[in-house]
Amino acid sequence: MDINFIEKQYADIVQVSGSVDALTASVLSDYLSLKINQDHTNLVLDLSEVEFMSSAGLRSVLAALKECRNKGGDLLIAGAQPGVEKVLKMSGFTSILKIFPDSENALASFSA
Amino acid sequence: MYQITRSAALRSLPEFRKYINLACSQRGCIAKQVIGDLQLAVDEACTNIITHGYNGMNPGSIILSLEFTDDWIEVTITDFGLAFEPSPAPAPNLEAGLEDRPTGGFGIFFIYQTMDQIDYTSNLYGNRLTFIKKWNPH
Amino acid sequence: MFKQLQIRKSSDRIEPVPVQLTSGWLEKNSQAPILLSQINNLPENIKKRVYRNLIPSELLARFQIDPVSWKGTGGDLQVQIEAQADSGLVRIKAYSYGAQQDEFFFMEFSDNALGSIDIKELQLSDPESPPFGNGVHQEGYPTFSGSTGRNLEREQRAMEAGLPPGQIWDWLGALKITLNQFEAFLASLGQRAYFFEPHFYSAAWIFEKRGFAYAQGHKLMDDIHAEFQPGGRLYRALDSSSPFRQPDGWCTVRGRAWAIHDGILEAIEAKWEGLRMVKLLGRKAGVETFPDAEF
Repeated sequence: MDINFIEKQYADIVQVSGSVDALTASVLSDYLSLKINQDHTNLVLDLSEVEFMSSAGLRSVLAALKECRNKGGDLLIAGAQPGVEKVLKMSGFTSILKIFPDSENALASFSA
Repeated sequence: MYQITRSAALRSLPEFRKYINLACSQRGCIAKQVIGDLQLAVDEACTNIITHGYNGMNPGSIILSLEFTDDWIEVTITDFGLAFEPSPAPAPNLEAGLEDRPTGGFGIFFIYQTMDQIDYTSNLYGNRLTFIKKWNPH
Repeated sequence: MFKQLQIRKSSDRIEPVPVQLTSGWLEKNSQAPILLSQINNLPENIKKRVYRNLIPSELLARFQIDPVSWKGTGGDLQVQIEAQADSGLVRIKAYSYGAQQDEFFFMEFSDNALGSIDIKELQLSDPESPPFGNGVHQEGYPTFSGSTGRNLEREQRAMEAGLPPGQIWDWLGALKITLNQFEAFLASLGQRAYFFEPHFYSAAWIFEKRGFAYAQGHKLMDDIHAEFQPGGRLYRALDSSSPFRQPDGWCTVRGRAWAIHDGILEAIEAKWEGLRMVKLLGRKAGVETFPDAEF
């Protein structure tokens, strides 16, 4: 799993590629926590290159979402592949988390 | 029958998922969504074995096997750790507001959501978890 | 939201069994597993009939030992069995010429606490090659396990002669024949799997090839393989600090086995202990923790 960080004006993009499972989820959690603690509290989590996510990955996303919102920010999802979107839907996260087709749309939502 | 055996360690998770993809590709004509469901259910089950099955003991093997018929795919996961019966725990609260959302409990829930039938046997020879997934909607 | 879900839970719980095997009990359920302790409580001649199933006739025939009487051409008894009443332990030995040093087959197995069966010891030697035993164990038979203290000189000679530690030596396919026979015997007992604790890395590797998986220790075997790769901690510990830690030992099963026997796992803060292998009857697990290995 690889993580890329792209700073933008109203929010920052966290680009993840590979799989977010029980083996890799803690790496993502730690990374997001670090960025949020550095006041990057508006995040677009770009999952377009994530081919698999399990409940472990879900936990990381949820933990980061809570942290962002607690600090007055937000976390949006962009580019979820069908399998990942299904995991988000099954868990009911789609009612508390917004999913955008791509990062541009998600970023636009922050600047609106 | 397709079979692969790996250690009950987190590093084996991607190997199991890759193998499922390989077996389904060789079998042919299996929808990506079905493959994804199988990968998810197996991943969640193996994660449970790896995380809870060997408290303090030297992790042993997990044997994954797949069998295909024209109507369904049977997946069997055999391990030799502590028994962990995937009984239907109450579904995580999916309607709660963000603060009340549980962060755990989704693994087994996902197995129930994606598989059509689940069997669990635990005896002196090990534990055997079997999933049946229908794949040929008529 | 929830799909119609079918859950079938089944449990192969083993019924507690009486100590005595009676024909009444045997008639009731042909699939309930029988323990060795129950067989050991049977009259001597019945025991002999049952255990005659254990040592393959093919191996006996190589030394002209009659598979029924267990006698050799000289009329001497060349197969010995220990299966005492009230014990779950069975020991079988076979000699090529009736003398202890010509032992070519030694097998010890027993009931375990869970109601299945463990192979405790298995030594198959080629009586044609010079004996490299560590000397006579206090109970009177040679042991190579090193558990009663090491005989470094003899070990080094064995290693230099190309032997692995321990005496599981798959000469002429003897191990395969023996385990196949053992599985047939276990099936007749109603057992579906059996267990083995490998005393040596070489034994574990050989048993992997015979289709065993690990009830415990698979991860340790993977870690050992990874750390023996060039640059790994075990690779670097092959520093000639002892004759068993030669730098080129990393790439053969024997080289690794001797180094591990010599204690090299301390370099990864581990010990060769806690491994337990399992074989499901009729099924091969396909485990290969050291792929494409040279023995």
